Amino acid sequence: MGLLTILKKMREKERELRLLVLGLDNAGKTTLLKRFNGEDVTGTAPTLGFNIKTLEHRGFKLNVWDVGGQSSLRSYWRNYFESTDGLVWVVDSGDRERLQLCGKELRGLLREERLAGATLLVFANKQDLPGALPASAIREALELDSIRSHHWCIQGCSAFTGHNLLPGIDWLLDDIASRVCPPD
Amino acid sequence: MKVKKSGGAGAAAARTEEELGRKALIGPDDVLGLQRVTSDYLCTPEENVYKIDFTRFKIRDMESGTVLFEITKPAASEREHNDRKDIDPNAGRFVRYQFTPAFLRLRQVGATVEFTVGDKPINNFRMIERHYFRDQLLKSFDFEFGFCIPSSKNTCEHIYEFPQLSEDLIREMILHPYETQSDSFYFVDNKLVMHNKADYSYSGGP
Repeated sequence: MGLLTILKKMREKERELRLLVLGLDNAGKTTLLKRFNGEDVTGTAPTLGFNIKTLEHRGFKLNVWDVGGQSSLRSYWRNYFESTDGLVWVVDSGDRERLQLCGKELRGLLREERLAGATLLVFANKQDLPGALPASAIREALELDSIRSHHWCIQGCSAFTGHNLLPGIDWLLDDIASRVCPPD
Repeated sequence: MKVKKSGGAGAAAARTEEELGRKALIGPDDVLGLQRVTSDYLCTPEENVYKIDFTRFKIRDMESGTVLFEITKPAASEREHNDRKDIDPNAGRFVRYQFTPAFLRLRQVGATVEFTVGDKPINNFRMIERHYFRDQLLKSFDFEFGFCIPSSKNTCEHIYEFPQLSEDLIREMILHPYETQSDSFYFVDNKLVMHNKADYSYSGGP
């Protein structure tokens, strides 16, 4: 194998990214994944395991892992941390009662050594529903401004309508790319 | 836990089915070296000790959003009622796909599998799928699912560019139904636990 081939192979591997989508149950993780990939989102059932999508987007090969968020499944999340480049934390912006729990779970993840190198994108989901808190209120409730350990961004969105999904994912990819893929 | 794509025989040494038949343990590198579809299954249904059960296959065309193929089967727990002793033990391990010639002209497809696992956690689940027309390897797909939660139901959709095939090859594949075949090998901790087969017709009917 020549040097150029090796370099090309390294480049290809670098452009393969692993995204982990987590959040409390009913946050809309699976709907987000389906909508982003142009799939029918009606009748989405609770995830009792994982949903994986592998796709190409902007020249990146994305491996996206959506793992169920029910309390009985959260202890298994750790099994999916390895090699994660981007963490997508999905929040049900209408679920005021569980915002505190939501923040606590997120802070727990940010302490994980195996997620130390991951960029964080928070989706304040369900902005299409009446009574949804705006992204600024979610930002405050989750105390995002106190995060020093990770690059982060919050984006209000609706997984159901697809609104703002693309800008969020593109920010995430730009941030990861600036860290792991040196410019050509 | 990355997708590994190997275009041809790749780095794995060439292997024949006969060589593998003499091995007690078959691992990923063994099947990556295979040059053609196997004539027999390389493991028995009993070796599926983690009770991995494929419950849905779906293929959609990403350009039109149309579902081209979908097959579901009830979970094993629901199937047990009418368990019969005289059925073919390999029945659940083989799928026959019938497509029209237009299928070979698709540009981007999404292929989904859904599977359930038994009550034991699986640490390292890996799939290697090899597609051939006669003795020519068309595509080799290698994916690590990694960990599977006990008693979970999981899905995986691979969205990929359809391999570009020459006009001659397309013509041959349409003319010779079921000579396009695939082997799907499933490994837990690098040990073969499941082997499924499929064949394909592109001639537009049964």
